[in-house]
Amino acid sequence: MNRAFFAALESIYPPQRLLTRDVELLPYESDALTAFSAKPGAVVLPVNEAEIVDTVRLCHDHAVPFVARGSGTSLSGGSLPIPEGLTIGLNRLNRIKKLDPQQRIAVVEPGVINLSISEAAQPYGLYYAPDPSSQSICTIGGNIAFNSGGAHCLKYGMTSNHVLGMKVVLADGTVTKFGSESVEGVGIGPDLIGLFVGSEGLFGIALEITVRLMPQPEVYRTVLAAYDDLGRAGDAVSMVVASGLLPGAMEIMDRLAIEAAEASVKAGYPDAEALLIVELEGESIQVNTEFERLQGIIQQSGAFELRVAESEAERTRIWKGRKGAFSAVGRLSPDYIVQDGVVPRSRLGEALLAINALKVKYGLEVANVFHAGDGNLHPLILYDGRAVGALEKAEALAGEILALCINLGGSITGEHGVGMEKRDYLPAMFSEEEIDIMQALRRSIDPREIANRGKMFPGGEAPALKLQGLHPLEKAGVISRE
Amino acid sequence: MSVNAPRSVTELQAIVRDNERVHVVGNGSKTALHNAHDGAASAELSGMTGIIEYQPSEYTVTLRAGTPVRDLAAALSQQGQYLPCDPLMGASATIGGTVACNLAGSRRYRYGGVRDFILGAEVVDGLGRAFRVGGKVVKNAAGFDLSKFLVGSLGRYAIMTELTFKVFPDAPSFRSLRLDYGPLEEALRAVYFINQSAFELDALDLIPGARGWSLLARLAGYDETLPQRVERFSSAMARETAPLDIEELADSGSLWNPLADLAGGCLVKVALSPKQIPAFEAALAGARRRYSVGGNVAWVATDEVDALDAALQKLALTGLCLRGAVKSAVIGEPIDNVLAQRVKQVLDPYNKFM
Repeated sequence: MNRAFFAALESIYPPQRLLTRDVELLPYESDALTAFSAKPGAVVLPVNEAEIVDTVRLCHDHAVPFVARGSGTSLSGGSLPIPEGLTIGLNRLNRIKKLDPQQRIAVVEPGVINLSISEAAQPYGLYYAPDPSSQSICTIGGNIAFNSGGAHCLKYGMTSNHVLGMKVVLADGTVTKFGSESVEGVGIGPDLIGLFVGSEGLFGIALEITVRLMPQPEVYRTVLAAYDDLGRAGDAVSMVVASGLLPGAMEIMDRLAIEAAEASVKAGYPDAEALLIVELEGESIQVNTEFERLQGIIQQSGAFELRVAESEAERTRIWKGRKGAFSAVGRLSPDYIVQDGVVPRSRLGEALLAINALKVKYGLEVANVFHAGDGNLHPLILYDGRAVGALEKAEALAGEILALCINLGGSITGEHGVGMEKRDYLPAMFSEEEIDIMQALRRSIDPREIANRGKMFPGGEAPALKLQGLHPLEKAGVISRE
Repeated sequence: MSVNAPRSVTELQAIVRDNERVHVVGNGSKTALHNAHDGAASAELSGMTGIIEYQPSEYTVTLRAGTPVRDLAAALSQQGQYLPCDPLMGASATIGGTVACNLAGSRRYRYGGVRDFILGAEVVDGLGRAFRVGGKVVKNAAGFDLSKFLVGSLGRYAIMTELTFKVFPDAPSFRSLRLDYGPLEEALRAVYFINQSAFELDALDLIPGARGWSLLARLAGYDETLPQRVERFSSAMARETAPLDIEELADSGSLWNPLADLAGGCLVKVALSPKQIPAFEAALAGARRRYSVGGNVAWVATDEVDALDAALQKLALTGLCLRGAVKSAVIGEPIDNVLAQRVKQVLDPYNKFM
């Protein structure tokens, strides 16, 4: 950052919103991928759209790289600072500008917390569907950048499927709008929303977002099934799918994850090798009939125990163990890496066996939590960062799991994004030509490659690996990971 | 204009490389898109058909872009599944044309549109490069999602040769109702009531009649629960929205084809929000029309497309002409966007696809 750039920043921001001292920058050095850290050149805290646009234009003019940051909950290092670059903190743009229950839409600023939208919509019987486990703290801007998912993606999709309109500033300072208040979104012409959402901050910053809201289901029916074999839980998922039911969520946890959750939130889970949670939702008459069928299937699937949530409190407790599983695993081990690979659902069993073999090969523990409905695995690789070479070993194991997912016909990431963490694995999934085309696309939008430089694409300078435990907010129990 | 019917991706790449202008055609069912392309070599994908991979247990299907939508629907239906964006079943419409034009039928109401169910694609771009975008599994966040960008792209950026979709189990049974209201405002109030209720309709359309406006509502589910659900829905609607009449109709495919009564004239799709309907109605001057997807898509048949164009411009809405002799398929508010132009520079820098 040169002096002219800095002077220009000072003309936009008062000193309390332009952070440069080490002690002020410290909280911004990492996101939820805590193995990485980097010191930004400065952090700015805009309070309105104009300040964001001015800042991006300034960065473009001076070729200073920037990263937009919401609450810093990215699990792929997506909001990790660029060394000596600018971090643009968006939390202060947190207004819900419009909520129209009749048309089921909300217009929000990028710093609005995911859960706040559902809270605002709740009095009207509506909610915002994407529910990453960090939803009580993560922001919509970050959800947009990484196309965040959650436990309920199979039926209603990820963030991209819930955005109808956007106003964005591209990395070169151009401001543009696309989409509408129609559920069709863009409707006519290429779906620019689909392109922008999930671009990991490489195209620019979302300034204003129109999201669609959904009616709250009349009832939820949630069942917890315990198995003495992980494979059998996987088979149960296939049976549910084959039956023609379309559950809102299907989640599996293995023994280690169950034990961790039990020790941490005391969900009252049975002692089992695997737990399957299936949740149906919808009109009561329909769901009650579906639920009878579901219980029949689960009984046939060899579950040794079946628990039906009889009240909202019991449902919450079942989910609490699942949603808190990641931070719970943090109690078992000083450090861990979360993976996010996807495999075709029918190959889940194969993937789990292979992960077990890798555990033995590397001598590391792996806890498994996954969105079984869409084949999205979240293996948590446990290691002790204080031991020499432990992180490298854990990363090597993580790399083998990603290769496994690709070999089985899946993806290296279902919902966390490539970010910093998996950028070296992008070539395993896409050809050189495909990556060249994506790079060309990026440069056509951001000729100076300043927006979130160093993420998604392989190569570039990696910030120093740092060994530390949970995110401070996770330690405090404020957030949890999906 | 030279006509080419490639049988393979390699042949298609050669056509793109060897010609200055290329105009892609599926089966040509959307006639308005094929006017005014003199001088361009046409690439007809009707020979590139067939389902490549369909795994009902994965909820995914991969097929060649020239496959008729009807064939896909038939294959899915054999396994009790469907493509929830409900591609419109024109006599010969292809899946590639459906994506390029972003066309979804009334059942799009329940789970979403084309953009919500496309997972990935193989394409040939304006430089003749063949490559893959997106993925083949139901969830994937790696790389830029150019597959969604193709939805609505009108063949101007890249030619799709293969497409992968997410599919869902279909319901075994359906029941349909017509609810009659007086003025438009009353029918819209009923739509708003449904929007904030927990009733899960399979489809909801809004149609003008001689004496007022009607809602067409469809419920999907099991035989044994549908009567009770229909009863519950009807009584709630009677209580909360005061319809003049509620009548159960014989459920059928043609009842839920929004284009069934719109034969003749220029056929136009308009994406709008329910609250824009009154102003749109005032500007329409009596063209035949039906509002689909809970009032979020207007289908209009008119002989006076210039008047419609002017009305759309006034309201800052865009229309896509599917049928009729028009100079440009896109009418009303232009769709040019700087972000789309940037993509164009990369995928089709020499404007082969115009």
